Amino acid sequence: MAQLAKPAKRRRIRGDGAWAYAFIAVALVVFAMFTAYPVVSAFIISFQKYKPIGSEYVGFDNYIATFKDSLFWKSVVNTVVYTILTVPVSLIISFAIAILILPLKKKLQTTFKAIYYLPAVASGVALSVVWLWIFDPMPEGIFNKLIGFFGISNQNWLGSSATSMFSLVLMAWLSSHGTSIIIYLAALLGIDSSYYEAADLDGANFFQKLWYIVIPSLKPTTLFLLVTGVIGSFQVFQNAYLMTGGGPDNSTTMVGLLIFNNAFKYFEFGKAAAQSLVLAAIIALISLVQFKFMGKDVEY
Amino acid sequence: MKKRMRVLASVFAVSMALTTLTACGGKGGDSKSAETSDPNAKDTITALLPPVSGNFQDTFADIQKEFTEKYPNLTLKIEPASWEDMTQKLDTQVNAGSPPDIAFIGSDGISKYVDQGMALDIKDIATPEMINDYDKGPLEYMKKGDGLYGFPAYMEVHALGGNREFLEKAGIDWKKVQQQGWTFDEFREAIKKGVVSEGGKTSRYGFVFATAGVTSKDYLGILIKNAGMPSAFTQDLKYAYTSKNYLEVLKDIRALIDDGSMPKELSSIDAGKRWNMFLTGQTMITGKGMATFEKSANTNNDKIKANDGSAVKGSIPVTYTVLPVPSFLGEKAVSSVAVDGYVAFRGKKEPSEAHKQNILKALYFLASGKVAATTNNDLFVAQITESGRKAAESMSVERDADNKAAVETMLKNAAPARPDIPAELEAKAIKLEDEVIVPKLQALIAGEIKPEEMYDAVKSAAVSAFGEDGVVKD
Repeated sequence: MAQLAKPAKRRRIRGDGAWAYAFIAVALVVFAMFTAYPVVSAFIISFQKYKPIGSEYVGFDNYIATFKDSLFWKSVVNTVVYTILTVPVSLIISFAIAILILPLKKKLQTTFKAIYYLPAVASGVALSVVWLWIFDPMPEGIFNKLIGFFGISNQNWLGSSATSMFSLVLMAWLSSHGTSIIIYLAALLGIDSSYYEAADLDGANFFQKLWYIVIPSLKPTTLFLLVTGVIGSFQVFQNAYLMTGGGPDNSTTMVGLLIFNNAFKYFEFGKAAAQSLVLAAIIALISLVQFKFMGKDVEY
Repeated sequence: MKKRMRVLASVFAVSMALTTLTACGGKGGDSKSAETSDPNAKDTITALLPPVSGNFQDTFADIQKEFTEKYPNLTLKIEPASWEDMTQKLDTQVNAGSPPDIAFIGSDGISKYVDQGMALDIKDIATPEMINDYDKGPLEYMKKGDGLYGFPAYMEVHALGGNREFLEKAGIDWKKVQQQGWTFDEFREAIKKGVVSEGGKTSRYGFVFATAGVTSKDYLGILIKNAGMPSAFTQDLKYAYTSKNYLEVLKDIRALIDDGSMPKELSSIDAGKRWNMFLTGQTMITGKGMATFEKSANTNNDKIKANDGSAVKGSIPVTYTVLPVPSFLGEKAVSSVAVDGYVAFRGKKEPSEAHKQNILKALYFLASGKVAATTNNDLFVAQITESGRKAAESMSVERDADNKAAVETMLKNAAPARPDIPAELEAKAIKLEDEVIVPKLQALIAGEIKPEEMYDAVKSAAVSAFGEDGVVKD
C-alpha cells in the first residue's frame, strides 16, 4: 500500500503542479517580504521606542499616547469628513461618465478612457503644482477669476480653514476617476443585453432601465469600488502633504499625514506604527460594516 | 512552445525575486578599511550633498579629485541630492542604520540624529588647528551637549529684502535702517507708505512674507528673536513663548495685515510667490531675505536688460536692498541665522578609529579653505573660517557694498547657539511648534482666530508639555 502511494505523491509535484508551486512561491516570497514582514514589524515597533541602535520596549505607551492625542482624533474626523465627501460623489461621477461613454463607438470609448485615466499616470506632485496654481489666492488665480464672474469675492482657498478642506475635496472630485470609470465600463459591458431587450418590450424608459437593471447589476462593482475607495481615502496623504501641509489650524491634517510626520519628521516610529495599526483597525471595521449592510444580496 | 513559455516565465519570476532581494542588500563593500585600524589603508568616505550653491554640484568631480590628491589613500564618494530629496534620503538611510559618512544639513536638524545615536561625535578627534580655523559663533551651532557633530559651512542671516527705488519713493532712509535698525512702529509706518491702491484694489503691498505652510514658522521665528526671545528656552531652560511679549508680537503680526500693508491672503503665499511679487513690483519689502537673493535679482535684471525671455514674466529691474528685521517692545535686535554644515554620521556598527579620522579629514576639506570659499562666494555669504577668508582673497565677488556691510552688522547680533538645551526638551519644543504654533499662526494670519486665542493655545500646550514650572511666567 505504501509502495503504491509513493509514486502518486511524486506525481503531484511534477509537471504543471510543480510549475504552479514555483510561480506561487515567488509571489509568496514577495508578499512575505514586502507586505507580511512590514506589518509584523510595525506591530513589534508599536510597542517600542524605535532607534536604529537598539530599540526600547515601552509596552502600550504608544497606543495610550495615540488615544490621548487630540490631534490624532482631529485627524480621524478630518479623514472621515474627507471620505464622506469624496468617495460617494466620485463614484457617482465615475458611474455617470461610464454611462455616457458606453453608447459610443469603440475607438471613441478608448479615447475617453485614456483621457480619464491620464491623471492616474501623471505624477501626483506635478498635478499638485497645477492645482496650487488653480487655487492661487490672489485675484489672478483661476478659481478666483471664475468665481469673480459670479460676483463672489476672492477666496483664500488653501489658506483658510473655511475653504481648505473643500479645496482638497474639489480636487478629488475633479480628478482621478480613470480607474473607476474603466471598471464601471467593463461591468456595464458585462450586463446581458437580454435584460435591456426585455425592458424595451415592457416599454421601460432610460431611467427605469438604469434603476431596475443597471444599478442592481453593478452592485458588486459598486461595493468593490466603495470599499477600495474608502480604504484609499482613509490612507490619503499626498494631497494634504503637498497642498496644505495639514493646515491651516490642522483643518486638513489627515491620519496618513500625521503618521508620516510622526515617523519621518519626529522619528517617533513607535507612535507612528501604533497609529497605523489603529488606522488599519478602523478601516477593517468600516469595511466589515460595508460588507454586512451592502453585501447582503451581492452575488459574485 | 509551451516549454519555451515556461522557461521564459521562470526567468521572469526568478529575476523578479532577485530584483526584490537586491533591495535588501547591504551598503556594499566600498568602505573596506572602515574595519581596519591602519590609518594609511585605502578608504572611501561617502557624502550626501545637496546643491548648496548654484554651481556646487558641478564642482563635485574637482572636489573629489583634489581630495584624493591631498589624501592619496582616500576616495570621497559624493552622492548628489536635491534639496527636496535631501531630508528624506538621509532619514531613510539613518533609520536603516546605514547613513552616509557625511551629510550637508541645517544645524537645527542635528539633535534628532544625536537622539537616534547616529551622529558621530568628532570632539575628541578634531585637532586644535581645525577648531581654531572656525569663527566661534557658527561652530557652536554644530554642538549638542558636550559633543561636536560636524563643521559649519556658513552662517546666513535671515533678513528682509527691499526694492531700493520703492523704498526711496516712500521716503525711507534705507541706509540709516541698514546701519541702525528700526523699531516695529517705524517699520509699520514705513510699509504703510509702500502700499499703492486704486479703486479699492491694491497693486503693491508694503510687505509680503512667505507664510504658506511651514514657512510661517520662519516668519514668527524671525520676529520673536527681536522681542526678547532669542531661543525657545531661556538660559534656565524655561519655555520662553509663554511670555507676554509673545502675545504682543502676535498682535503686531495681525496689525500689519489689518493695516492693509500685507495681503489678506498672506497665509497662502509661499516662497516662490512672494519672490515673484517682489520681482514684479507687487511688494516693496519681502521676507525672508537671504544674501543670495541679491544675486538672483541681479541675474533677473541682466535678463531684462538683454531682453531675455527667461526673465520672470512681468518683472521690473530691482536693486535688492538688505534690511534688518524690526525690534519689538524696546528689546535688543537679535538676528535669526541659519547655520548649515557638514555633519558626520556613524552606522549601526561603531566605525574604526582610522575611518573616523578619514571622515574628519573629508569634513574639514569640504568645510574650509578653497571649497568653502568658493561655495560661500557663490552664495554671497560671509566666510566663517580663516582658511576660507585666505582662499577668498584671490576671488572676486560683485556685491553691493551697503548690503555686505548691513549683513556684517546683523551677523554681530546673531542669535547665539544653544547646545545646552537637552535633546528631549528640544524635541518637545519642535513638536509643539509644528502641532500648535504653526497651525494656530496660519489661522491667525488667515484672520480666523485672535492673537489672544493663539497665545492661550500655545500657553496651554506648553504647560502640558513642560509643566507649570517649566514655562516663563511674566
